[in-house]
Amino acid sequence: MAEVHIIGQIVGASGFPNNSLFCKWGVHAGGAWRLLSGLKNGQTQVDIPQTGDMAYWSHPIDLHYATKGLQGWPKLHLQVWHQDSFGRCQLYGYGYCHIPSSPGHHRISCVTWRPLGSWQEQLAQIFVGGGPQLRSPDLIHSGADRYRLHTEAMGTVELELGVILRHFDSYGVES
Amino acid sequence: KDGKLYLCYFPVLSLFISSCLFFPFQGLEEGITQITCKSSQSSHKLIWNFPLETTFKSTNPSGWPQLVVSVYGPDVFGNDVVRGYGATHVPFAPGQHTRVIPMFVPEPTWRLQKFTGWLLGRRPEYTDPKVVAQGEGREVTRVRSQGFVTVSFHIMTKDLKKMGYDTGPSMPLNAPSATSSWSTEEQPCNH
Repeated sequence: MAEVHIIGQIVGASGFPNNSLFCKWGVHAGGAWRLLSGLKNGQTQVDIPQTGDMAYWSHPIDLHYATKGLQGWPKLHLQVWHQDSFGRCQLYGYGYCHIPSSPGHHRISCVTWRPLGSWQEQLAQIFVGGGPQLRSPDLIHSGADRYRLHTEAMGTVELELGVILRHFDSYGVES
Repeated sequence: KDGKLYLCYFPVLSLFISSCLFFPFQGLEEGITQITCKSSQSSHKLIWNFPLETTFKSTNPSGWPQLVVSVYGPDVFGNDVVRGYGATHVPFAPGQHTRVIPMFVPEPTWRLQKFTGWLLGRRPEYTDPKVVAQGEGREVTRVRSQGFVTVSFHIMTKDLKKMGYDTGPSMPLNAPSATSSWSTEEQPCNH
């Protein structure tokens, strides 16, 4: 079986309305993929940057997958949350990116969005915070059932991922 | 792998290996740099220029080594307090790489702790700095990021191709590293 190593970091995020942020992340792969070692989901620390717009997490990722097919190439999905000084959490963005398919070191900027409610909900959000969330987080990385969703653009998450492939060329896969 | 280290007070370095598959068979795994100050004329940089040289061997890239940097500096009472923790994976492509490590310090969880910490000059610290290289159990920590540490690596690998591993094209000489572009301003741990 061909093997993929994903080694890197979720570096941080910028461009969000507030910069006291943390991130819940997970890796989703198709049925032909088997996780041999590593954590495939987690949550970063909450960073309250002293200066600047960017929150840094430096969250390490080290995954080892074995696969029988290319279909269902792993995807990294992210949820960015804001935590205020009272410890209350608010959703700031959903986003996903494919794990790069070429070996080597990659720097990825993952764009994010968040669901937008009705105008009453948006008004309430300005005063009391909160806001709508997805009932099924699978929608972050799937294309089905998105057509009625209204969303708003949010900030970007910076990732640094290194990809090592093994035995792909012996199966004739060109990457 | 060998490299040099620039910037900030004095760090304690440790190469952390997240699985028992990697073991260094030559070189040091931990070190402490000198204590440095900013220069009076020039920039806000702190220079360590500290050499690192280690060789690792393993049968599996899983648990690839990470460099953990913890920076300490004296507070107003002269006690050494932590100024930042940071970690980065050692690059795996052969060639020269520059990595800019964002540094952060843990924040007290309770406001009372914050106040007593300020009063007594104590700051929360990690009992084991290697937790910054682990992905588990981070959701409970609150940190404040401040400053960066720049590390320059020269990487050489052996037999990765022979074992069937493809780590991508090796970096051309003098190519700008992917990470160096977000070191917009090196602003070290200030007082």
